Amino acid sequence: MKVFFPKKEAFGWTLTEAAADGAIPSDYSYAVVPPKKLIFPQEEIFFEFQQTADEGLQLRETLPELPPQVIVGVRPCDGRAVAALDQVFSGSFEDPYYWRRRRATILVGLACNTPPSNNCFCSSLEGSPSSEEGLDVLLTDLGDRYYVRGLTEKGKELIRAQSSLFSDPTEEEKKLRNKISQEGAQKIKRHLEAARELPPKLKTMFDSPFWEEAALSCIRCGICTYLCPTCHCFDINDETRALAPLKGRRVRTWDTCQFPDFTMHSSGHNPRPNKAARLRQRLLHKFLYFVELYDRFQCVGCGRCLDLCPVGIDIIEVLSKARNHGA
Amino acid sequence: MEHNVYLPRIGQIVEVKEEVKGARPIKSFRVQLLDGPIFPFRCGQCAMLSVFGKGESMISISSSPLQTDYLQFSVLKMGRVTSALHEMEPGDLIGVRGPYGNGFPVEKWKGKNIVFIGGGIGLAPIWSVLQTTLLQRADYGELCLIYGARTSHDLVFRQELTDLKAQIPVHLSIDVAEPGWSEFVGFVPQNVLDKKPSAVNSIAVTCGPPIMIKFVIMALKDLGFEDSQIYTTVENKMKCGIGKCGRCNIGHHYVCKDGPVYSWAELKQLPQEY
Repeated sequence: MKVFFPKKEAFGWTLTEAAADGAIPSDYSYAVVPPKKLIFPQEEIFFEFQQTADEGLQLRETLPELPPQVIVGVRPCDGRAVAALDQVFSGSFEDPYYWRRRRATILVGLACNTPPSNNCFCSSLEGSPSSEEGLDVLLTDLGDRYYVRGLTEKGKELIRAQSSLFSDPTEEEKKLRNKISQEGAQKIKRHLEAARELPPKLKTMFDSPFWEEAALSCIRCGICTYLCPTCHCFDINDETRALAPLKGRRVRTWDTCQFPDFTMHSSGHNPRPNKAARLRQRLLHKFLYFVELYDRFQCVGCGRCLDLCPVGIDIIEVLSKARNHGA
Repeated sequence: MEHNVYLPRIGQIVEVKEEVKGARPIKSFRVQLLDGPIFPFRCGQCAMLSVFGKGESMISISSSPLQTDYLQFSVLKMGRVTSALHEMEPGDLIGVRGPYGNGFPVEKWKGKNIVFIGGGIGLAPIWSVLQTTLLQRADYGELCLIYGARTSHDLVFRQELTDLKAQIPVHLSIDVAEPGWSEFVGFVPQNVLDKKPSAVNSIAVTCGPPIMIKFVIMALKDLGFEDSQIYTTVENKMKCGIGKCGRCNIGHHYVCKDGPVYSWAELKQLPQEY
């Protein structure tokens, strides 16, 4: 079993393989690279190929074989993001690479006693600082101990396996936990009003000049999507190691709708030819298309894209303006 | 072991036919799968072809599903993968996964007349439907093909088109007059207006360059075709083929999975992002 635990690095917090001893540091905010990296890694080798005169063309499948991995300190928004990813990678074409990793993963969440970011807005998007969706265990920090809820069979088993560490909560602890949860929600500073009104409004705005203005400052770096816990778009490429005999591998990597190449046809035609069209795609995917497909937002309000955008594009502001556009 | 949707089957090219030479070359490839018979598919569906070391490309299957000895792909040389494919010869090995997409609802069209309208390489997806309707000739009404290309040298399946004339009306066109050309000169939509296929109990299937499709649809509307009688295909850049990699969408539709076939009634409801 591997354990991933919050660790402070120069650029922020990471989820790093570690011995899980002691408490999660009290100044932990959120992992800059969300936990999706351990289930849908930035690079996944699909298979290796080799072609020789003797043996012909051989493909060697490289489905991941991994021990159970416990990720500790998953923020509730990131748990909900994993639940959204589950839907994308299911359906009539199940993604075996994703599900190998997902089934080996136990998500131990940490409720937010205070919002990890000034830009947190989970409560505007059907989430909360103590949301349980997608998680296997939810911890709430009571100061000198954790209030622990086993949420899934996987999570309950983890607790049973170490039962000496746990005791049944007292009524007082239950009350304290509920109080902390409520206070956590009240401390959220940012709000996106009436989010469910957005999809029908956005549906009317595809051809609006609104997107040009909204995207003016974008430098198309893609950070908003790479570090988004729900973004799942990817590229598939062949990496050739040798030509004669041919040897190489097919690799999936994260990709972003913010790059022109993402949709450019080999003819040079590009159905999303400018950054306005690409910002529109990002927001419509999250707040319209995903809602049409799965009846949920593809945004969990984690605040990363607001915190990390180098030019300060503020998704809450853009969406609020969109809702009032032309009104 | 779970099914791995990303792992291609190995296909062997058994025949290569040079359809069009010159700056925009087209070749047709017949492919058999090494590990067994080809997969069942529907007219208009596509397959992801691999040239290992180069990558994958989504190509429509131009043979009929009723013809199960091989899969045929007619490929315009355009990018990295299609250029590598054009270098390949009979005996060479490629990867094949699929079939993908929705396909044409040919079962629903039984008893109807079908007018096929193609431009350039756009005849490839049409060819699968056309061959299928010819193999089940009694199930369909009048069939006719209106097909054009820039020059007579850019027409694909030339021998097959000559043979086809013995079975159904075939109206060819080229954009600019050439010595010895006795058929229509002008763009495909003009030829449609010239030949005036009847809209009564008919379906129109059109594939080709987007600008051609746009004007063909206008021509068909002039001739009395309803939006729901007109079918076309959409192309977008694709990587996964299964609606996950996120780039081929128009609105909430993934063209690889929910398309590429749309009636005009359906397509005009979606954002113009293709």
